[in-house]
Amino acid sequence: MKKMIALMMALLLALTAVSAFADAATDRLAKIKESGKLIVAMEGVWQPWTYHDETGALVGFDTEVAALIAEGLGVQVEYVETDWSSILAGVDSGRFDVALNGVGYTEKRQEAYNFSDIYVYSVLVLVVPEANEDIHTIEDLKGRKTSNSPGSNYAQMALDAGAEVVYVDTLGETMEMLLQGRAEATLNDKDSVDSYLSEHPEAKIKIVQVMPGDPVAIPMKKGPETETLKAEIDRILEELRQNGKLAELSIKYFGEDLTKKQEAE
Amino acid sequence: MDERLWNILVDSFPKMLEYGVKVTIPLTILSFALAMVVALIVAMIQYAHVKVLRQICRFYIWITRGTPLLVQLYIVFYGLPKVGIVLDAFPAAVVVLGLNEAAYMAETIRGALESVSAGQLEAGYCVGMSWTKIMWHVVLPQAMRTAFPALSNSMIAMLKETSMAATITVMELFRQAQVINGRVYEPLALYIEAAVIYLIFCTILTWLQHRGEKRLATYGGAKA
Repeated sequence: MKKMIALMMALLLALTAVSAFADAATDRLAKIKESGKLIVAMEGVWQPWTYHDETGALVGFDTEVAALIAEGLGVQVEYVETDWSSILAGVDSGRFDVALNGVGYTEKRQEAYNFSDIYVYSVLVLVVPEANEDIHTIEDLKGRKTSNSPGSNYAQMALDAGAEVVYVDTLGETMEMLLQGRAEATLNDKDSVDSYLSEHPEAKIKIVQVMPGDPVAIPMKKGPETETLKAEIDRILEELRQNGKLAELSIKYFGEDLTKKQEAE
Repeated sequence: MDERLWNILVDSFPKMLEYGVKVTIPLTILSFALAMVVALIVAMIQYAHVKVLRQICRFYIWITRGTPLLVQLYIVFYGLPKVGIVLDAFPAAVVVLGLNEAAYMAETIRGALESVSAGQLEAGYCVGMSWTKIMWHVVLPQAMRTAFPALSNSMIAMLKETSMAATITVMELFRQAQVINGRVYEPLALYIEAAVIYLIFCTILTWLQHRGEKRLATYGGAKA
């Protein structure tokens, strides 16, 4: 038994040591151009950012922006779908080139990822069950239970406000938690909540606070290898802003142009 | 049930079934095949008491059974790229599911091998058979008959473990249910539908197990 533990410790140490050296800087942009594809991670279950329509095709604001970016880089776009925490894990490990999933641009995340310029501003909403009378703003969340995805900036905002967060995977599950009384509130993107309400107009939930202007950007692996990639993506995003394509997509999926920072109401 | 819900169920069933047939079943079969090969080798090495290899096998069984499948999937898919080993999603799922189940199956097979009376081996040596010949013609057939129900169990378990592959981006049956839910938001109905499809697959496997046991029983040994 002792020998096995010693062996395992040695193995783990060796692996960690190797991984410290193995992160040799390669240029990610060069790698992408060589392989001819941009690997984009997204959830595929989050309307209207990234989701599948009735035919099963992958659509959404982020889906189309990703396609335009790949086009600008001169490569094919390859979508990989998985749950939110896996997306972050994948970007961290360099498994995915970029993630386009309405990723909130927060200070904390800046330390862990290289972000592109902000390309859209999400409108955040605080949602509670219809019967709730006492939660009106984020500050009221102190000591209450919210439901959100692990690693999401929504979860972080709730934690910062002093709430207890129950972790779930998708928007659908979050809504179920609210309706079942397992969570007292949730924070999410307004258009996603709207899409839920359009499928379930009878749902007994209500929006109590609207917070526009939450910046969204594209995360990439931290480090020198994504510098050139970031520069190229920023250039393409600027082009898309100039020729109006970004605003067009925003109106298509969000009903309004959210690409410029909105003022708080 | 209102019309909208009914339409959703009818629309989504073929979509989910498609992923069940195109991904879940092949994933199960390939992973189980890999697991079977590895488990047999590992069990036999231990049964034969091969010096160094035996320790390695016990180490592998210890680590694999001692860590959760989800963690193993993450390590292989998201962690290994850091040391330069990059596997595609589907192959990674096959490898992890296969090696994971193999650790448990190896113990099952080892137990079955040890349950075959030592007299069988001795009798084989007496008539001049080599160890390999004895294993192949005498011991293994008896052991596999004993191990059959437990190994069928492993295969059925593996079918359901494939739902974990979604965390390493394999689009399979359960993830498809989540995808459809992301558009229509009817989790109870959709997840029950997914469960029904898994149940259909497992029922087929259970039926196959029953047929298999009946066939094995005609040769004597463990009664069905």
